[in-house]
Amino acid sequence: MTTHVPGDALVSLNAVNKHYGQLHVLKDINLQVRKGEVVVVIGPSGSGKSTLCRAINRLETIEGGTITIDGKVLPEEGKELAQLRADVGMVFQSFNLFAHKTILENVTLGPIKVKGVSKTAAEKDAMALLERVGVGHQAPKLPAQLSGGQQQRVAIARALAMKPKVMLFDEPTSALDPEMINEVLDVMVQLAKEGMTMIVVTHEMGFARKAADRVVFMADGQIVEDATPEEFFNNPKSDRAKDFLSKLLTH
Amino acid sequence: MDVIIENLPLYWEGFLRTLFLSVVSGIFALILGTLLAAARVSPVAALRGFSTVYVEVLRNTPLTIAFFFAAVVLPRLGVKFEQFEVAAIIALSTYTAAFIAEAVRSGVNSVPVGQAEAARSIGMKFSQVLSLIILPQALRTVIPPLINILIALVKNSSVAGAFFVLELFGYGRQLANANGDAVITVLLGTAFFYLLLTVPLGILANTVERKVAIAR
Repeated sequence: MTTHVPGDALVSLNAVNKHYGQLHVLKDINLQVRKGEVVVVIGPSGSGKSTLCRAINRLETIEGGTITIDGKVLPEEGKELAQLRADVGMVFQSFNLFAHKTILENVTLGPIKVKGVSKTAAEKDAMALLERVGVGHQAPKLPAQLSGGQQQRVAIARALAMKPKVMLFDEPTSALDPEMINEVLDVMVQLAKEGMTMIVVTHEMGFARKAADRVVFMADGQIVEDATPEEFFNNPKSDRAKDFLSKLLTH
Repeated sequence: MDVIIENLPLYWEGFLRTLFLSVVSGIFALILGTLLAAARVSPVAALRGFSTVYVEVLRNTPLTIAFFFAAVVLPRLGVKFEQFEVAAIIALSTYTAAFIAEAVRSGVNSVPVGQAEAARSIGMKFSQVLSLIILPQALRTVIPPLINILIALVKNSSVAGAFFVLELFGYGRQLANANGDAVITVLLGTAFFYLLLTVPLGILANTVERKVAIAR
């Protein structure tokens, strides 16, 4: 549980709909995330939680409804969209570090090319961020030379370098070996404590209990429950959530 | 053998002409082909459509038709050249650009889609995603096929000889006509000078291919 007080709605989804052909992946999604809030999205695979996360910075287009970030409706394409994306940090399941750039360049590229920060200032910032996530000594290496856990921490640093208003995490630990999951979660917990607004799609219930302000449970493209972690884990209301949790807890 | 040695200056002149045609057309084709590939993967549907039609039409018609258009049709439409060489360069570069566009596009497709998503998610514009993230990574897979296309360009430039441009093949034909008793030798000499250009390119392609394989 975090101690900060959440403020106004920073991310707001209103009646968002999306289809993949016949499949209705997002059904009338309404979700408000306030400033400083940590929202964990959980649910069975295929429930639409990753699509929801990717729709927030328009890596997936939506067919109906609106998504606003800090009061601005998400633009369709072009310069305005790029500008808005710079305010929304994204961490992917498969890290997606730029394979031809060093660790340091991965973190400095955005600030230099998108924000026009000078190279020296960007490098100073980047080194501080890399130290913070515990991979400062890896700065001159290429991504392929790092472990999965290290790469994901670099990816978090890369997103933070843009000084985003909100961070999206799309199953950030699902591609990691078990012993590397914690090093990434520790960084995320720390980030949550510092008051970052976060939307986290994950299967890590421990993280949801420890760091979330709210747990959103999705199934079949709908938000089935939206509650505090204690409420959700101790006293789930819907049968769908009860079923989901019972399957998790048996192992 | 004497025919070749006696006419070495003429061969050399033709060799330089072919080299000039190939280099200039190659540069234009690389630029145009990369732009076409960029259009092909761009978010603008009209650009994608134009690029697709261009590539399919040019790639699937004979080079002689491209030459015919550049040398005969364009002047009728009011585009006049001082020299036929300009027409040859237009024909060779527009034709070769279609093949280069296809090679670059397949290189772009070989870069995992997550790279582009990550670049977009930190706020890069389409042009930045392409030039900073995708093309540099596509380059290593694209260079060997690009060199093959350039080898084909060197050989294709011989078609210019049929359109009043004096290059290696054009001079070769002149020599063959003038030395009816030594046609085979003259043509072997012509072939040798083509090999002088294409074989090093082939060796370069193999070297690059091996280097890329190690770097992975």
